[in-house]
Amino acid sequence: MAAMRLYGSAAAALPAGSELAGKSHLTAQIHGKLQVLQSRHGELSRQLSGDVSGLGREELARLSRELSETARVAEPYGRLLRLYAELGELQQMVGAEDAAELGDLAREEQAAALAAAAECEREIIGALLPRDSAEGAGAILELRAGTGGDEAALFCGELLAMYERYAQRRRWRLSAIAMDRDGDRVREAVVKVSGRGVFGVLMFESGVHRVQRVPATDGHGRTHTSTVTVAVLPQATDVHIEIKESDLRIDVFRASGKGGQHVNTTDSAVRITHIPTGTVVENQQERSQIQNRERALQVLRARLYERERQKLASERRASRNRLIGSGDRSEKCRTYNYQQNRVTDHRIGFSVHDIEGVMEGAALQLLIDQLRIQYDLDELASMGQHQ
Amino acid sequence: MPRSPANNTLAPLLRRLAGKLGERQAASELRWLAEHVRKVIGSGGEGDHHHHHHGILDRHHRQARLWREQPAVSAGEVEQEARRFTPVQWAWLRQAVSDRVEQHKPLQYILGNQPFGKASIATRPPVLIPRWETEEWMMRLAEMLKSRREALLAERDQSRRAGADRPLNILDACTGSGCLAVGLACELAPGAARIAAVDVSADAVALAEANVVRNAHAMHNPVAVHRLDLQAGDAAARLLGAMAEGSGGGGGGSGGGGWWDMIVSNPPYVTPADYAELDPDVRDWEDRRALVPAAADGQPDPEGVSFVVRLAALARDLGLATPARCPTDLPRLVVEIGGPKQTDPARQAMHDCGFALTEVWKDMAGVERVVLGYAKD
Repeated sequence: MAAMRLYGSAAAALPAGSELAGKSHLTAQIHGKLQVLQSRHGELSRQLSGDVSGLGREELARLSRELSETARVAEPYGRLLRLYAELGELQQMVGAEDAAELGDLAREEQAAALAAAAECEREIIGALLPRDSAEGAGAILELRAGTGGDEAALFCGELLAMYERYAQRRRWRLSAIAMDRDGDRVREAVVKVSGRGVFGVLMFESGVHRVQRVPATDGHGRTHTSTVTVAVLPQATDVHIEIKESDLRIDVFRASGKGGQHVNTTDSAVRITHIPTGTVVENQQERSQIQNRERALQVLRARLYERERQKLASERRASRNRLIGSGDRSEKCRTYNYQQNRVTDHRIGFSVHDIEGVMEGAALQLLIDQLRIQYDLDELASMGQHQ
Repeated sequence: MPRSPANNTLAPLLRRLAGKLGERQAASELRWLAEHVRKVIGSGGEGDHHHHHHGILDRHHRQARLWREQPAVSAGEVEQEARRFTPVQWAWLRQAVSDRVEQHKPLQYILGNQPFGKASIATRPPVLIPRWETEEWMMRLAEMLKSRREALLAERDQSRRAGADRPLNILDACTGSGCLAVGLACELAPGAARIAAVDVSADAVALAEANVVRNAHAMHNPVAVHRLDLQAGDAAARLLGAMAEGSGGGGGGSGGGGWWDMIVSNPPYVTPADYAELDPDVRDWEDRRALVPAAADGQPDPEGVSFVVRLAALARDLGLATPARCPTDLPRLVVEIGGPKQTDPARQAMHDCGFALTEVWKDMAGVERVVLGYAKD
């Protein structure tokens, strides 16, 4: 793949050892992908400013569309690279000890260039707008304790609290659809998150989250590894997915007998089976059977929608080496290592050394931002390949 | 704060409930009871009694509050919550469990309400507690009326569109708690309906009126409640008179002279034989008149369909079986029944009264539950 070929040379764009290195959001890997986009943009503008009479109308329209898409990233990236070069020169001037006065001036210019570079980065990231219509939707967040027994359930509760706090920060609304919780221990939680663009933000959380720490319950001080599986489903509206009534089997419990006025059951549990896919959802939280059915249908709709998305995504992925956003739930996506105070996202090789900050929801944003950028760049990089 | 005595745990209450309900359902009911205690019972003036609890509990408490939107809490969370109940709250909870187990008092009478569509219906003995089957078909009917109205409003033809501008006059016969009338008033678009709810029981009329007030904020259409014996010989005349005066359906047609468009009803349909076998939850608490139909002429009614027959005749007398005025794509008589054995007698009664077409709806459990009568051109 082109992105991989350029990977090595991308690092050269960063002035090594400069103050910038720690401040940039763009990793070497991202630079690699941006350069692919930039050269594609150059190629396209050369092609389109030349003789286009040989191109069909459709081909011409497609290329112009691609040109303007890539321009939104390539132009600010071009400016960013010029700023990097400038910063490299300034770095040398600041370092020159025999010219103190010149050094001061250079430091001022350096600060200005750094601000401009940060602005360019924001522009680049901002240009990478969400493409998937599901991203604007709310989400259904499912957490399930995996291997690790009680410790996994404890961590599952902590992850739930993390998302809860993160959602509060973003002023999203949470409501539980199903909750299997015993004090701090959460075996399973299904939560509806409503708000603007929720799915676009949380979509990268899908996967296996792994915790490494010494559980409070372990008297020997041994480090345990436990896992929690997270699934994030876009909250499909009726427009997104149609479910045929005839494909559903709805079971209500204790439904034998005459029903109606003859009995006054408070048993409101509902189980819905989607026959073609064998998907089963259950709900018994509410006192109203009808509300339970509605909630179960919501979850079912989200599951079926996600199934469709997965199918599409895997078709697209077949020709592309994409690491994130696949939503594959068996994928090990993140490790929370308490002894090292580190949270690492394996898909992008990015670490945050502030586990408390992540669990409080604030530093989680850093991870989400990185994932977003990488994902958008992947999407953009693949644009030219699959038209 | 003083710690609760050690015997204040939910386990014994859960065991008692499980003896009656089975474990799974006992857990659900205890959860709902505890949630009710937390929200409603004896919380006044003691809001901060738990202030000095240690950290973990406080954290739980906060988390529980975040989820306040619904009573979706597991057994473990209920246990946590219950630790902070006051003695008054514990006493209420124990009394509730004892009423439920020893007296077979229905949960809805203990909690005092039952969700029904978008409405919250107040419940009190001896008025019939809304059943899920009724809620289900009310929603289905509302959906049907909504999509029909939207289709009409989108109509290009001015004369056909005009039909949608007029609110439907709906009669809820045997309204009981008022759930059907209030539920429809909440579901339907503003101006889509005017609903009159009638019942023979003074208890029912009072409760239905209370439910209209209680749900006023969620209702988009007017509901008027009247005490009326539909088995009395002059019932049809009185209903027609009310409509002519413009006082039926909460206002009648423009300038009086309106007409009835539809009857919806959950009439009594339990047979005397079945009544003898009912759970004490139902038989000991709910009004027999709401369950077992008593034929006006004193004739025995082993099939439990005499009220359905009565409603079909009433619908005929109100002009609902004839296609005049109201569009024929709407059901004119919608009646809940007690299962497949009553389907044919109910259909027959409707055909006998001039309804050209009948339809049967099954409920979520697959039981034939509603018979609908249509007039046809």
